[in-house]
Amino acid sequence: MVPGGDDFTGMRAARPHGLAAFASPRAPYSSRLPILGNDVLQSWTERVRKLGVQSLWLASGAGVQAATSALAEFARQGIERLLVIELKSYAEMDLADLVRFHCERRSPVTEAHDAGGQLGVRLLDRPALRASGEKHESSCPPTDSVQTPYQFSGYSKRILSARERQELVADGLTGACAMRPLGTQIREQVWIGEDVKVATSARILGPTYIGARTVIRAGATIGPFASVERDCVVDCGTTVERSTVLPDTYLAPGLLIRNGLVDGGHLEHLGWGAAADLESAGLGNRIPRRGSSRNPFSAATTDACSRGDNALVPNFALSSSAPQPWLQVQL
Amino acid sequence: MEDKAMNRAAWSILPFPSASNSASRRAQRKDFLSALRASQSPVILDFSPCRSLSFEDIDLLLECMAHVAGRDTQVVFVSGSRATRVLLEVTRISSLAPVFNSIEEALAPPETGAVRDAEDRAQDRQGVSQSQTLWSA
Repeated sequence: MVPGGDDFTGMRAARPHGLAAFASPRAPYSSRLPILGNDVLQSWTERVRKLGVQSLWLASGAGVQAATSALAEFARQGIERLLVIELKSYAEMDLADLVRFHCERRSPVTEAHDAGGQLGVRLLDRPALRASGEKHESSCPPTDSVQTPYQFSGYSKRILSARERQELVADGLTGACAMRPLGTQIREQVWIGEDVKVATSARILGPTYIGARTVIRAGATIGPFASVERDCVVDCGTTVERSTVLPDTYLAPGLLIRNGLVDGGHLEHLGWGAAADLESAGLGNRIPRRGSSRNPFSAATTDACSRGDNALVPNFALSSSAPQPWLQVQL
Repeated sequence: MEDKAMNRAAWSILPFPSASNSASRRAQRKDFLSALRASQSPVILDFSPCRSLSFEDIDLLLECMAHVAGRDTQVVFVSGSRATRVLLEVTRISSLAPVFNSIEEALAPPETGAVRDAEDRAQDRQGVSQSQTLWSA
């Protein structure tokens, strides 16, 4: 159900159908890592909210088995219809249209596809849920024979792929998709988050985004088509061009980061399909943050969820001893 | 460059130190720098034995470049692995000397380099690569 996922997030709606969504972040690029400061989970939550759904379930567990057993549990609870969203893509999808399509086709499973294949968004009716549970219990591989494809022709990108992630960043910076950088636009195609510090001698070349609390030191060049996410430090003279730097990353002085995605001490070159260890080379590392967690789901979420916050769906953590691998969130 | 293709012996091929323990590493480093100093011919620094580069490797590499900077010695790099090639670009060392994937490629006639260069430019047009590591002298 969630191939290769170590964690997953699930949502269940109280009405009008039983709805759920799951996320399958993959190391090193979790689906919860921001893109231009935005949380893709929040984007999906907004779309679910537009369906009139009042609550959903976020789930985190141990990959395929947990996800499959979660579906079976929903079937046991008598849920008639479930919307499952793996957080592996950003898609500007009208979920109401998906539900309409599903109802018209009367298929037990409808799976959303784009030109690149499955988007990780599907609708399951009760028989399909029951079948999922039975297959899980009998350890049989799932069959897709009853799936009806919903062909989505709108904007979509797979966020677990470094290359598509960078494409999404470029599209967000140039207005080619609906995602906008989260921050203040200080000049044409340049956005910065709160408390950003940019040295006077640093050059910022749009289109570019610099996330909250990031520090750009003397002589550094950021852009074009660069996204340096929150809480990063780009040291003196380093250039970040056509690249993404994920949160809490330190980059040493004098580097050239071009066509890459940097996550702490890990660099993936998008053109050559190669990864390099910056940390052992003394060129970059993860900045430790007190009281923060790299876990895509941290405990703060539970309180915010119980308050029914309409702001960003916060992070939450599910302990391994939790009786169920999901958490209810009021929208 | 034609000379390079025709007379492999004219090039000194120096494997970059790759020992894991510090004593061997120090010895290798000393031999390596001595060989570099003594070399009267163009030098190929071969990173093929290295899986990646540590901060000590980068330090040594910069020391090498400082040694040859004041001399009329031609230097090329053989990256051996993509990870090494990425690090050579990130540290901008690839802007100091050309980088090849293998010794054969480094010794090949310049046409091959030109073809590879064209391939890289094609990749650049797709917006995915900005390699400057292939060259033709």
